Amino acid sequence: MIEVNNLQKNFGKIHALSGLSFTAKDGEITGILGPNGAGKTTCLRMLYGLLKADQGSALIDGINVAEQPLQVRARLGIFPDKFGLYERLTAYEQIDYFASIHGMQGASKKHAIEQIIEELEMNEIAYRRTRGFSQGQRMKVTLAQALVHQPQNFVLDEPTRGLDVMSTRILRRYLAKFKAKGHCILFSSHVMQEVAALCDRVIIVANGKLAAEGTPQQLCDLAGETQLEEAFVKIIGSDEGVAA
Amino acid sequence: MNQFIALYKKELKEAFRDKRAILAALLMAFMAPVMIFGISKFAIKEAVEKPPIYVSIQGAAFAPKLLTHLKRDHILPLTAVPKTDRALWQKRNMQLIIPTTYADDLLAGKPIKLIFKADYSEQALSTPIRRIKQSVQYFSRLIGYKRIVMRGIDTRLLNPVQLEQQDTAVPNNNAKFISMMLGLYLLMAAFMSGLSVAIDSSAGERERNVLEMLLCQPVSTTKIVLAKLCCASLIAVIGVVLTLTLTTFAVSFIDLTKIGATFNVDAFTISTLLLILLPICFFSSSLQLFFSFQAKSFKEAQSMMSMVIVLPALVPLMLTFIDNKPVWLNWVPISGQSLLMEHLFKQMPVSWLALLVTTLLTVMITLALVWLTAYKLKSEKIVLSLS
Repeated sequence: MIEVNNLQKNFGKIHALSGLSFTAKDGEITGILGPNGAGKTTCLRMLYGLLKADQGSALIDGINVAEQPLQVRARLGIFPDKFGLYERLTAYEQIDYFASIHGMQGASKKHAIEQIIEELEMNEIAYRRTRGFSQGQRMKVTLAQALVHQPQNFVLDEPTRGLDVMSTRILRRYLAKFKAKGHCILFSSHVMQEVAALCDRVIIVANGKLAAEGTPQQLCDLAGETQLEEAFVKIIGSDEGVAA
Repeated sequence: MNQFIALYKKELKEAFRDKRAILAALLMAFMAPVMIFGISKFAIKEAVEKPPIYVSIQGAAFAPKLLTHLKRDHILPLTAVPKTDRALWQKRNMQLIIPTTYADDLLAGKPIKLIFKADYSEQALSTPIRRIKQSVQYFSRLIGYKRIVMRGIDTRLLNPVQLEQQDTAVPNNNAKFISMMLGLYLLMAAFMSGLSVAIDSSAGERERNVLEMLLCQPVSTTKIVLAKLCCASLIAVIGVVLTLTLTTFAVSFIDLTKIGATFNVDAFTISTLLLILLPICFFSSSLQLFFSFQAKSFKEAQSMMSMVIVLPALVPLMLTFIDNKPVWLNWVPISGQSLLMEHLFKQMPVSWLALLVTTLLTVMITLALVWLTAYKLKSEKIVLSLS
């Protein structure tokens, strides 16, 4: 479970976050929607413990990120904003590397790696060096290395960017499966259809604050629109927007 | 510990699979023996042979015996210069003018004035000028001695005070330039060999967007930096060992006895050299990681590094200019090691205390740099510049 309470962050005079609060529950996929520069990435980086909040706190499974960043990270799977691969390692070695960093070893590590390779249908590419991998293949490797230790919480920063339909479907299918196992998934995106199709709850962030939250249907109802996209524009665009 | 081993193993895999970087790293090791071999050969040739000197001689016809004498010392008239060297010696334009009255004056026992014109400020002419001067002086003294002997006087009277010169230099001292070069090369190898790996694993990873992912993992930045340091240092150590082995091998092909020198790198010297240089390998890598982690790109890191790699060349050079060296120079990194190596090569006793102090100080500075790098990796400034 991920809880964010009144997070505030300023970079000089710029208010990146001004009092953002939300909760992402276990067994649910929570989507963060927001225009560019709304503070999504800043917020997620605070969850990883890379940035420190000026005020407020972020709790992962009840552990404060600012106080125990390493313990928090052990309970997190991370799919970052910009992900690269170690191009001189094979996909298997790369997954193995992250599994070892998470303290896995021996037969259980081997089993976990083989299982995730199986689940993501990446047997064919597992023993190839990752240089020259397609965007879809890169996504799979990043997903596998983030989830090999089966973290309770999984945070993705715009994971479908640059992916084709097939890869997006694999990702969605996997996330749905992961959710069914009772994990908490937090997901930032720009793609409305995706959020509408995948997310149980949506958080709309604008100007570093929570603008609205609810199921996609609730948000549409709230804004009096039938499409989530229209609702989104209305919520973030209008002065009289929905006071959440 | 398991985490560290995983980090270290991954660094090694990446480093050794980057063939180009490894090749560049070890280029130094292969260059050093070739350079030392070449320069030694050249130096020996200079020292042993007396290459012919060509000087324009006016009035040569008046002093045939002087000319024969000069010829014996490989000092020849400009007319005899081979085509290939003609332009060079014409440009150097050294002139020896023999007066027309030479023969008469010699017969009459009058002093003869030979005029020698040359550009004394020209560095390349210093040896030819010295040799011509010596040759003429020797010729003059020879005639003088003969005259005195003819008059029945003991020539020893001409030298009432004699300066007996005793060379206290250790025989090996003549090979000093070789060992000085080797010392410089070893320091350079310690600095250069790990360089590309250090840059690639820091600024390179940042450029390839894998650093952020790593910083999000449940692992301390100190472990990350230490793993990268150990990897880059290992390459540096390999570079140093290779330089040392290949150079020792190459020098064994040079006949140093020609200049009365021996160059013998025995097991003791090799192990002491490694002991001296091991901390420097770690020190240089920590310095490189510290700077290149702050660079935004591979390129920026490379240009920053050009300043760091000047150090091993600059410090020993500066040391040669300081006559009264303050004690602390024996202790600080690079200069301490450089002085220790100098003593070792001169076969002077190695000061183990200086070795201990400089090693400790180098290790301490290295650890401080690791700590500082790890601390900086936690700072928001680094994170914000990731994207």
